[in-house]
Amino acid sequence: MQLVQQGDPRGFELLYDRHGGAAFSLAYRMTGNRTAAEDVAQEAFLSIWRSRLRYQPERGSVRTWVLGIVHNRAIDALRRSLVHERRRTSAEGLEERQEAPERTDVEAARREEARHVQSALETLPEEQRRTIELAYFGGFSHSQIAEMLETPIGTVKGRMRLGLEKMRQQLVEGFA
Amino acid sequence: MSGEHERYEDTAAPYLLGALSELERQAFESHLERCTDCREEVERLRPAADALPRSVTPVAPPPRLKTALMEVVEREARAEQAPARRPLGERLRAWLPSLSGVPPAAAWVSAAFLLALGIAGGFGISKITGGNSTRTVQASIDSARAPEASASLRIYGNGENGALLRAHGLPPLPRGRVYQAWVKQGSEIVPQSTFDVGRDGGAATAVVEDLRGADAVMVTSEPRGGSMAPTEQPILQAKL
Repeated sequence: MQLVQQGDPRGFELLYDRHGGAAFSLAYRMTGNRTAAEDVAQEAFLSIWRSRLRYQPERGSVRTWVLGIVHNRAIDALRRSLVHERRRTSAEGLEERQEAPERTDVEAARREEARHVQSALETLPEEQRRTIELAYFGGFSHSQIAEMLETPIGTVKGRMRLGLEKMRQQLVEGFA
Repeated sequence: MSGEHERYEDTAAPYLLGALSELERQAFESHLERCTDCREEVERLRPAADALPRSVTPVAPPPRLKTALMEVVEREARAEQAPARRPLGERLRAWLPSLSGVPPAAAWVSAAFLLALGIAGGFGISKITGGNSTRTVQASIDSARAPEASASLRIYGNGENGALLRAHGLPPLPRGRVYQAWVKQGSEIVPQSTFDVGRDGGAATAVVEDLRGADAVMVTSEPRGGSMAPTEQPILQAKL
C-alpha cells in the first residue's frame, strides 16, 4: 500500500492482483450482471487510485477499505440505474454461474472463508438474513425494504441489528 | 443528547449495511461524533458487516478490466510526475490539435474566438436565482450537441463545500464514455467526478471542490474512468 500511496503504478498493479477478484466478485454479486460489475469495479479502483492518500491503516485492512469502496460504488450504481430492475428478479443463485477456477492456495483459502461467512449468515432466522441481504447486496434502503416486505421500518432496523449481532457472535465462535 | 440518541437508536446496523439515504448517513455520522453509545455499537457490529463481502463466491474478472485500469493509472502517474498543472492555454491547445504550433497568444485569441462562436452558435444565457444560503446558477448548454438539455448548479452557502449539479435531457453516451464535471479557476481546470445519465437524460452529481474563487463548473464527455484534463469542449457550463 505504501507503493500505491507513493503513486507507483506497479504498487497499484499488486493491489489489483491481490484484491481485484474479491472486488469484482462483490460487484457481480450485487449487480447480477458482468458488464455492470466491470463498470463498478473499474470506477472503484480508479477512485482508490485517486484517493490513495486517504487510506488510514488504523481504520482497517486494505481489503476492507477496497471492498467498502466497491460496495458504495455498487450501491450508487444500483440506486441510480437500470441494474436494480433486473436485480430484483434474480435474488438467488448468481454466484453459481461463473466461478473463478480454484488454482492457488490463496483462492482455496478465500473459498473456505466464503463458506465460513455464508454458514454464519445461514444460521440467522430467515427474516434477518433476508433483510441483511436485501440491504447489503441488494443496495436497498431500510425504507425500501420496509415497503417491499410490508413491515414497519423499526422492525426492519431491529432485524438488521439482531442479524449483525448474531453473525458477529457466530464469527467470533467460529474463529475461537 | 438522550433525545437525540433515541432518534438514532437502531441506526448503527442500517448505517453499516449501507441502507441509509445520503442525508440520513450524513446526519448519523454527525451524531456519531457526539454519541459514545452509538460509536460503540458501530464498532461492535462492524466486524459482521465487514465479513459480508467475504461471503461472496469468487468470480474471475475479465482480463480487460486490469488492462483498462493500468492504462489510466500509468497515464495519470506520468502526468503527476510532469509539472503540476499546465496553464489553460496549453490545455486548450491539447483539445484543439489544429492549434498546435500556433504561438500561445494566438492560441488564446483563437480559443476566445471559438468560445465566442460557441456562445453565438447556441450557448444560452446563465442566470442566478436564490436567497442568501443557497443559490442556483442555470448552466449554458451547447444546444448543437444537446438540444433537449437543461442544467443547474445549486451552490450551498459561500461555495466552500461545493455544489450539486443537476441536468436533464443530456444525450446518452456510447459505451465506454461517461460525463465528467470540471471546475475552472483562473488558468486551472480541476477534474471532478464522472457520472452517467438515466434513460431520460437526467443526472445529478456532487461537485466537491471549494468553489470560492472558481469561474465556472463545466461538463464534458470523457472515456469511462474520467480524465485528468478535458479532452473536448464543454457540453454545458455554469458560470459563477
